[in-house]
Amino acid sequence: MSKHQYAMVMDLNKCLGCQTCTIACKKLWTDRDGTGYMYWNNVETRPGLGYPRQWDRIGGGWRDGQLQPSPLPTMDDYGHAWEYDYEQRLFEGKRKPVMPSPTPESGVNWDEDVGGMNADENYFFYLPRICNHCTYPACLEACPRKAIYKREEDGIVVIDQDRCQGFRYCIKACPYKKIYFNEVTGKSEKCIFCYPRLEKGEVNACAAQCPGRLRFVGLLDDPESPVHRLVLVHKIALPLFPEKGTQPNVFYVPPFNPPKRENYGRSILEDPRLPLDYLVYLFGEEVKDVIIRLEAELKTAQSGGRSELLQLLIGRDAETRYRIRPQLVQIQL
Amino acid sequence: MRIRRCAILILIALSSAFSLGQGGAKQSAGQSIPVGTFAGKAEELLTAAPVKWSQFSARRVALNRTPPLFDTDEPSAPELSLVEVRAARAAGRLVVQLSWRDATNDTAVLAKPPDTPPETRFRKVPTEADDRFFDAAAVMYPSKHQTGPAAPSLQMGDAADPVEIYYWNSARGAMLMQAQGRGTTRRTGQGFPASGGYDRGQWTVTFELPDLPAGTPLAFAVWNGSQKDRDGRKYFSVWQVLE
Repeated sequence: MSKHQYAMVMDLNKCLGCQTCTIACKKLWTDRDGTGYMYWNNVETRPGLGYPRQWDRIGGGWRDGQLQPSPLPTMDDYGHAWEYDYEQRLFEGKRKPVMPSPTPESGVNWDEDVGGMNADENYFFYLPRICNHCTYPACLEACPRKAIYKREEDGIVVIDQDRCQGFRYCIKACPYKKIYFNEVTGKSEKCIFCYPRLEKGEVNACAAQCPGRLRFVGLLDDPESPVHRLVLVHKIALPLFPEKGTQPNVFYVPPFNPPKRENYGRSILEDPRLPLDYLVYLFGEEVKDVIIRLEAELKTAQSGGRSELLQLLIGRDAETRYRIRPQLVQIQL
Repeated sequence: MRIRRCAILILIALSSAFSLGQGGAKQSAGQSIPVGTFAGKAEELLTAAPVKWSQFSARRVALNRTPPLFDTDEPSAPELSLVEVRAARAAGRLVVQLSWRDATNDTAVLAKPPDTPPETRFRKVPTEADDRFFDAAAVMYPSKHQTGPAAPSLQMGDAADPVEIYYWNSARGAMLMQAQGRGTTRRTGQGFPASGGYDRGQWTVTFELPDLPAGTPLAFAVWNGSQKDRDGRKYFSVWQVLE
């Protein structure tokens, strides 16, 4: 168990699906050889396939204290990179249409904005995903090289690139499939929660760049931090797939707003815009209580009252959303 | 808990394959490997035609499959049964050749990134596949020169008796590793001269080692990529002894 634990809360009601976080992460960390298909941060449309596709049904994680089996996702699941044959059209004088090759069959955001149907109405929302920096990381347990460790000072889970030999047991074990194999280096890589930025007092790149201001970052054990208040005091942020048993430290404020038009004035739970079953699938039964709490806060604010929680969720400035404490987590050498 | 159970499983499997020597970790050696003498340089043997190697007598060494190491491992039945070993001394070096039948040639030509920093290039080298494992082989011997009936633990040596592992991977080349017990294997960062080729269902891999005295224990390992072999998931021989 680490002494402290950095955590992130993402308010899914505010996510625009603009992928600015994805690009911020990609430019900073995965713009190298072998990392083209890696998205340490990705934003996927839910319901949907996700990235790699069907990751939520592949396997991994814990059950009754035992690691669960899982195949490795394949490049078919990530989607093969394709090229456009501009050469023949622009330089060789051929008049064939410019087509991608190989024919694309999958890829990151392959089913963006498709979503699902709730009765006769289409619905979807965005789910930004990073490594969950779990309290009980299945990847760490699975690594026979002991290359993965959870930093004692701040709970961030990292892969020692010197020890890693690319065996990929960690990828199988991770129920969120947030570790990627770099075939060029022969080693596996994952989100590092921007620890070099945190150590300098800067917030994670994905959070810093988010135009929707939906990310909150701080120490879970710091009573002053927004993540502590959202997760432990107000109890309105939940981990993804809690039944996978790893205890994620990335939490989500479930999407619940706006209500259906014809249901104005009625509870969202009576006839929700997003099917509750799907939210329960993602976040567990507790999501219903969270939505009731959020709705109550919303009603308070709408009737002229003041909601400290909603003010926090609005997160007008960086001081509200982030509390980075490099001094606190510094290891005394 | 899991590690302990795996260790017990391995001990059971190993003890059925050969008897444990004195002190528990020490293991007794199997049959002997004949060593020929080659008048030329060692590197000539690395690229020598099979007919040149046929002058050295071969020893067929049984391969054992490690039991499942982890609860989550896919089961895999043994597909390889033996490795043929030839050895020759050449100009102060020991050259060892392993050949084994393998129906699948699991290798790839991996693109090498240019020397220029990736941020200066528009195109980066892609990861072609994330789920393939390559055929590989290795020769292991004790780091401390020793001869005699007892050898270090077959599980990558032990604290008192570290081992040198000459590892050759069909896609990634030759790398020297050292270990002193299971889970301690580390790459030294050094390579060594080696060659390998696949022809009509057979791998032939040649390792150039330092000259080792007669009586040195040697052990061999083969990884079958199509069976997702890597790490301890492999085929291994018990200790053999250089003649």
